[in-house]
Amino acid sequence: MNVLIVEDEKSLAGEIALFLKRENFICEMAHTGTEASEKIAVNLYDFVLLDLGLPDYNGLDLIREAKEINADVSFIIITARGAVEDRVKGLDLGADDYLPKPFALAELHARIMAVARRKFRIQSPDITLGGFTIKTSARKLLHGNTEVEITRKEFDLLYYMVINSSKVLTRHQLYEHIWGNTLDDQYDSNFIDVHIKNIRKKLNLHGPAPWLETVRGVGYRISTEGQ
Amino acid sequence: MNHRGMMKLQTKLALFNLLSKLVFSALFIGFLPLIIERINVRQTDNELVNKREEVISLISEVGIEPFILSDSASGFGSYNILKEEYISLERAETVDEWNYIDVTQRIIDNETIDYRVLHYSLKIDGEYYLLEIGMSLASIRYSARNIRNVMLVFLGLFIIVTLLSDLTYTARILRPLRIITGRLGETSSPSFDVAEPLVTSTEDFVQLDRTLREMMKKISELFRKEKEITVNISHELMTPVSVLRSKLENMLLHEDLDPEVEAGLEESLRTLHRLKTLVNSMLMIARIESSQYMKDETVDLCELVREVTAELAPVAEDGGVTMIVKCEKSHTITGSNRSLLFSMIYNVVNNSVKNTAEGGRIDITGRDAGGRFEVSVCDTGKGMTPEQLDRLFTRFSNRPDPAGNSIGIGLAITKSIADFHNIAVRVLSEPGKGTQFFFFFPVNSL
Repeated sequence: MNVLIVEDEKSLAGEIALFLKRENFICEMAHTGTEASEKIAVNLYDFVLLDLGLPDYNGLDLIREAKEINADVSFIIITARGAVEDRVKGLDLGADDYLPKPFALAELHARIMAVARRKFRIQSPDITLGGFTIKTSARKLLHGNTEVEITRKEFDLLYYMVINSSKVLTRHQLYEHIWGNTLDDQYDSNFIDVHIKNIRKKLNLHGPAPWLETVRGVGYRISTEGQ
Repeated sequence: MNHRGMMKLQTKLALFNLLSKLVFSALFIGFLPLIIERINVRQTDNELVNKREEVISLISEVGIEPFILSDSASGFGSYNILKEEYISLERAETVDEWNYIDVTQRIIDNETIDYRVLHYSLKIDGEYYLLEIGMSLASIRYSARNIRNVMLVFLGLFIIVTLLSDLTYTARILRPLRIITGRLGETSSPSFDVAEPLVTSTEDFVQLDRTLREMMKKISELFRKEKEITVNISHELMTPVSVLRSKLENMLLHEDLDPEVEAGLEESLRTLHRLKTLVNSMLMIARIESSQYMKDETVDLCELVREVTAELAPVAEDGGVTMIVKCEKSHTITGSNRSLLFSMIYNVVNNSVKNTAEGGRIDITGRDAGGRFEVSVCDTGKGMTPEQLDRLFTRFSNRPDPAGNSIGIGLAITKSIADFHNIAVRVLSEPGKGTQFFFFFPVNSL
């Protein structure tokens, strides 16, 4: 997929590009609104990651402009402004998602995948982990043919790790994915441990799940090695 | 809002007008008989004098004889049928000269009647005569009473008519005041437009309106600036944090990292997260206090409470803490911000979960309490000393968390969300026994 990163903070744009390239995206960068506007006019992008706080351009104008050229382009707004109505305005103008800075790169990845699924109707293939199968579209976890009873939050956690599989995710990143930014100040490292513990308990009722790894001192990881 | 002893300006003006008219009318009615009597007496006296002149001219024409028989001792006397007037002429026994008017009682046919009587002495052919002309005062008083009754009816009507017209007129001229008051109410919302100048011919209102509009412009400007500041602070601080975070996260993805380096990166990310949370929380409070959040949602409180407890149930269960939720009756509040209310309750319940030891219990109850809805969170946790309780809502002063998880701003956020929604908060706590947290939702938003 083609992604345009519109971000005036060059080092941030670079880090995002580095991460997404590793996930097999084709990335281009624009550091000004004018540059972005020119690139959008000549290239077809699947995604535009747009920083609203551009010095030379109103980011919301850029959305309008781009939608006129190519209605199919998906926008994910990334902004550090944090104004309450920016989110509403952005989504009103047809942005597909909104991520306040500072976001986790894994979260950005998950959001892009979610928009892609929704918008381009990309059927993610079912994922097999040991004896377990994650039915992506049905949002179900099976062991053989038996459904494993897990809560929605537990599924979300598991799925987030699957999308970012073989990457270690910190407890913060996992917490943020589930509870977002509003409850940031209530973060407790214990929350994620409890949920992972519960997931493991439920998995172990059906079969071993060594693929759900604890990375000591860092967080958790789903290992796809040997799958 | 109608406080005891408070009255609308319109009512006050109308009451004052009514009272002043009533006092004036009462005085008028009270003094009226006196005035009428004086006028009547003067008129009667004039008439008596006229009649005397008539009688004198009659006597000088026809002589005294037709009235007084020369040998008779008795004089002449005549009453008209209704005893309103009488005339008498008789020989005087004295030679005093009389010419005066007074009030005399006469008994006629067993009836005592007050007369206004003119006494006059005449000297005709060397003889002295006494002429008396009387007019009954009863008729005078009767007419005075009539006049007073008419006046009473007239004044009554006058008072009612003017009261009605006063009310209508004051309502009309005070209309601008109502408009101004209504406009002032709008300033509590995050963005309001300064209204057009008021059209009125009352100079005072024009002035009031001008002053208030200037004030509203300033407030609106302050709101705008505050918003700009929070946006700028957010942008300036979050951009570098974001760069650092992405860099650290990418580093963590390098394969074959030394576990020590991995843990170090994680720790740096955690510190960065704390910084982010700190800034976000401060900005959140600033945004709540400058009313940048919308309040346009209707929230079912019991549903919200259940949602909060469902979120925290796994953690409570893991810690061996029993959570009991009692909130059967559905209760909705309008004009609120759902996610803020969620945070408000979540922060308190989460605090209880954190501070309650294994085997403890947390009761979360929603119920009607004397007309207003009350949500309470009562735990059997550590509790707080009075000093801790005093500083409960002060930023960064709560229960320093050794694990570095909490930054001690959660309850400050809870308090500002409560204030933003006019929700009263009460906390009772005793060390070793537990903490009771109460939210009282305002009646007007029920």
